Amino acid sequence: MTASIDNTHFLLRRLHSLFGLVPVGAFLVFHLWENSQSRFGAAHFNETVVGGLQRLNYLPFLELFVIALPLLFHAGYGLAVIGSGRAEPLRYRFLRNRWYWLQRISGVGLMLFLLLHVGMTRIAGMFEPSIRADLFGHMQQSLSQPPVLALYLIGLWLAVFHLANGLSTAAIAWGLTTSANAQRRFGWLCGAFGLLLGAIGMHGLIGFLAAAGGAA
Amino acid sequence: MIRANVELRIRRQDTPGSAPYWQVFNAPVRERDNVISVLMQLRQQPVTADGQRVDPVAFEHNCMEEVCGACAMLINGLPRPSCSALIDELDHPIVLEPLPKFPVVRDLIVDRSRMSEHLQRVKAWIRIDGAWEIHERTQRQSQQAWARNYLYSRCMSCGCCMAACPQFGPDKAFVGPAPLAQVRLMNAHPTGRYDSAERLHAIMAEGGLTDCGNAQNCVRVCPKEIPLTTAIGELGRQTTLQMLKDLFGA
Repeated sequence: MTASIDNTHFLLRRLHSLFGLVPVGAFLVFHLWENSQSRFGAAHFNETVVGGLQRLNYLPFLELFVIALPLLFHAGYGLAVIGSGRAEPLRYRFLRNRWYWLQRISGVGLMLFLLLHVGMTRIAGMFEPSIRADLFGHMQQSLSQPPVLALYLIGLWLAVFHLANGLSTAAIAWGLTTSANAQRRFGWLCGAFGLLLGAIGMHGLIGFLAAAGGAA
Repeated sequence: MIRANVELRIRRQDTPGSAPYWQVFNAPVRERDNVISVLMQLRQQPVTADGQRVDPVAFEHNCMEEVCGACAMLINGLPRPSCSALIDELDHPIVLEPLPKFPVVRDLIVDRSRMSEHLQRVKAWIRIDGAWEIHERTQRQSQQAWARNYLYSRCMSCGCCMAACPQFGPDKAFVGPAPLAQVRLMNAHPTGRYDSAERLHAIMAEGGLTDCGNAQNCVRVCPKEIPLTTAIGELGRQTTLQMLKDLFGA
């Protein structure tokens, strides 16, 4: 009896859950951590942070297989199954039900944000060598426009919420937390993790504006 | 004996396919009445608030003590059994609608055969004897295990958890919380556990456990306070282990 692997339904759903945490969620943590170093200024950011990553061997493969493809699968499969639910956040005003609804809203919002975000940085950098050379200056210039800053703040908190809530529901889905108390405790822990991660992200965004110097 | 009149707003529907419509009644209420006893009273004088005599409101009830599940409906917007919904404890006017997500038969009566289909789909029963007789008694279980399992045996298939579930619906594959909780119960039974892999495989297919979205409305609305989300977490663990057994060998 190997029904669960003959039928891909279960494996696909669990893969969707897994990819959301590793590598996509883990990448978000790494990404926000790296960007939080913007406060050390253009020279440090461009040479040590961005330069260090750009000098990695096999970088395009890492970007493709560790970030792009898992993210595309997670987003695509999420979009494909989002129609299997109909949220009623106003009828059932329970916290978890609101999170359920917000998880789906944030997922769709993130896809739109990431199209802009990746387009404005990674894709634009492929055509514009000056962006690659001075990412700090590029980000500082972008974020000093209030609409872009607002967009990034929204995108940041959507991503952080989606990961933190996804972590707490994945723990139920995989069977890490079973009792109501365990689910509640882990939920608060994920909330604290989300707030910390969001703070690191905010610190990074503000760092671009506060730190001195555009082109190093 | 009649203490007051209470305003009832009832969503009615004459036949399964027809359009629903609303009617308002001023129903006489006695002390300690519940929604079903008021509806029974109203059936004797089915006159709307504006004096029009109409067909009596069709509703379903049986045990009148919240153990059969037949009378579940939407009361003031939330799914619950109507026999245990006391008039004194409800906000007025009282709004009654048929239990959502299940097809309406007439007025407040819905067809809950999907519940039964889904219980069958997840094999929510215990095989006592197979093609041959086993002739063995059920094994003993600890008091602690018994106490935990008992919580799930209180399910009366009323459908409130399914009605509140954002992932359950007439056009959706999800089996819903109540059948999943029965898998949890049957898999823990000393005889039922022999078929646990089969039940887990049933809930690892389309519409199974992974279609749960963790909105957790089910556990909030369950009138029997069944720990449905604990069942879902425990089944999450069981299916994770089952997947590993299927992938790497038991």
